[in-house]
Amino acid sequence: MSVAVDGIDAHLDGLERVWEGGMRDAYGFYRARAVPAVALAAAMVETALDMQTRSGAPPAPPQLLLADLCLARASRLLAETRDQRLQVGFARAVERAASAAAGAAPADPPRALLVAVLAEAA
Amino acid sequence: MIAARRLDLPTTTATEFVDITRRLQDEVTAAGLVAGRVHLQSLHTTLGLTLNENEPLLMRDLQAALERLAPTGTGYEHDDLLRRNGIGADEPRNGHAHCRALFLLPACTVLVEGGRLVLGRWQSVFAVELDGPRQRQLALQLEGEFARRADAPAPSDRDLVELELARQLLVDPAEVALPMRRLVEAGGKRLRPLLSMLSARMGPGRDPLRAAALAAAIELIHHATLVHDDYVDEAATRRGRPTVAAQEGAGSAVAVGVYYFAKATRIIAELGNPDVTFTIADAVEAVCLSQMDDVRLRGSYPGDYAMYLRVIRGKTAALFAASCRAGAQLGGARPDAVERLARFGDLLGIAFQMADDLLDYSDSSGKPRGQDIRQRVVSLPLIYATEDERLGPRVRELLAGPVPEELIQEVQDLVVATGALERVGEEARGLVAAALRELDQVDLDGVRPALTDIALATVDRIR
Repeated sequence: MSVAVDGIDAHLDGLERVWEGGMRDAYGFYRARAVPAVALAAAMVETALDMQTRSGAPPAPPQLLLADLCLARASRLLAETRDQRLQVGFARAVERAASAAAGAAPADPPRALLVAVLAEAA
Repeated sequence: MIAARRLDLPTTTATEFVDITRRLQDEVTAAGLVAGRVHLQSLHTTLGLTLNENEPLLMRDLQAALERLAPTGTGYEHDDLLRRNGIGADEPRNGHAHCRALFLLPACTVLVEGGRLVLGRWQSVFAVELDGPRQRQLALQLEGEFARRADAPAPSDRDLVELELARQLLVDPAEVALPMRRLVEAGGKRLRPLLSMLSARMGPGRDPLRAAALAAAIELIHHATLVHDDYVDEAATRRGRPTVAAQEGAGSAVAVGVYYFAKATRIIAELGNPDVTFTIADAVEAVCLSQMDDVRLRGSYPGDYAMYLRVIRGKTAALFAASCRAGAQLGGARPDAVERLARFGDLLGIAFQMADDLLDYSDSSGKPRGQDIRQRVVSLPLIYATEDERLGPRVRELLAGPVPEELIQEVQDLVVATGALERVGEEARGLVAAALRELDQVDLDGVRPALTDIALATVDRIR
C-alpha cells in the first residue's frame, strides 16, 4: 500500500504523526474493503475515536484537536464522494461510539461499526 | 402549550428598579397568549424580582430600605477574596447584593387573562439590579391557551431554529443531550443559523423546514466546537454557567462534542444536497486547523496581524461564510449570489471576532475581563497595542510569558491607553460596511433588512 499510488498523501497534511502512530495500519485494513478516499476516511474516524473516547482517560488538549481534525477531514473526504449512505452511516457510527463513551448504551468497537457501514454501503 | 423566551436586560446603575411590565406585555401579545401564566425567573444571584408601585419617590425609598437592610461595604465575609478559592482578581465585592437578594424573589408568576397581564392598578413588575451595571437576562415561560389568528404571522426564522434545536436535543441519549441542552439554552445569538435561514430564502427551492434543519445543525456544530474549546482552554464558565468540562468532566465534554459534531454532519447529509454537505465539511476542517494554529501560535504571543487574520478566518469566519453559502445552496440561489453571500459571511465573521476581542475589556460580556490574556488567545487589541511606539515595548514584555494575575489589569490599561480598542472598533465597523456592500449586487428577495440587522448587531455589542 502506498499513499502516493493511492493519491491520499495530500489529505495527511498535519496528521503525519498520527499516520505513523497507527492510522497507516488502519488504512491498510480498510483499503482491502474500500476505495482509497473511503478507506482513509474510515481510518481517520477509527483513529479519532480511539484517541477521543476509548483510551480510558480523556485525551490531552493537543490530542483532542488532532482527533477533531481527523474527524473533520474524514467528513470532508466523505462529502467529496457525494455518497449519502456512507456519510450517514459513518456519522451514525460516530454517534454510537460517542454516546457509549458518555455512558449511554454500549457500542461495538469503532472498527466493527465502520466495517458494518462499509458492508452495508457496498 | 409553553413558549420560552429570554429577556435581555442591560442595567445602568449599581442598584436599579427596572420596570419590565410593558416588555412582559409585549411578549404576551407577540406570543398570542390569551389565558394562562407568565413565569419569570432571574438567571442571576444578584438580580431579584418584585411587584410594586412605579412611583419615583417610592423607588428611592425602596433603594434606601435595601441599603439599610444590607449596607454596602460593611464587612461581608463574601467580600474577603483572599479566603475564597477559584476567583479572579476582578471578582466583585458584592456581599451586600447577595444579602439584599434575600428580600426579593428569584422567580415569580403573573397571570394572563384576555391577552393582558393581570395586575392591580398600582402594580408593576420590576427586575431589581443589586450589583450593576451589568448585562442581565430573565428566563420567561408563557404557558396556557394561545390565539390561533388567521392573520397570525408565520413563525420567525429564530422560532424555527429554536424549535428544531429543541426537537433534535429531545431525541438524544440523556448522557449527551443534557449537557448540550444546558449550553444551548444558556443563550447565544444564533447568528450562524439565522444567516443560514435568511440565505436559504434566496432561491427557488426555499423550504423553511429544510432550512431550519440545516440551521440547527450548524448551530450544533458551533456548540460542539465550544464544548471542546472550553476543555482545551480550561475555561470554567461560558455564558455565566459552568462549562461542560467543568461540570461533567473532561471525558464527558469530549464525548458530547464528538456526538454533536457527528449528529450535525448526519442531519446535513440527510438533506441530500452534496454541495451543502461539502460546504459545511470544508468549513469544519478549516475550524479544526485554525484551532490547532491558535494553540500553536500561543508560543509567539500575541503574534501579528497576518497571523491573527489567518486564525480568526478559520476559527470564526469559516463557519459564518459556510452558513451563508450552504443556506443559499440549499435554496438553489444563483452561483453569483452564493459567492457574494459567502463573502458577506466571511467579512461579517471577521468583524464579529474583532468585536468579541473588545468584549475582553468590558464587564458586560458574561466572561471575566482579561480572559483572552490569561488564556493567551489571539486578540487584535493586543497586537495593535504592541505596535504603539511608547507603550508597545512594555506590552510585549508583559505578554512574553504567561501573565500573572496581578498584571492582567496593567496589560488592559496599556491597551486602552494606546487607543487600540478604538482602532479595532473602527476596523470591525469598516468590515461590516464592506460586508453589506457585497449584498448590493444581489437580489435579496426581501431579506436585506434582516441581514443588515444581523450585520449591525455583530458590532453593536461594542458601542
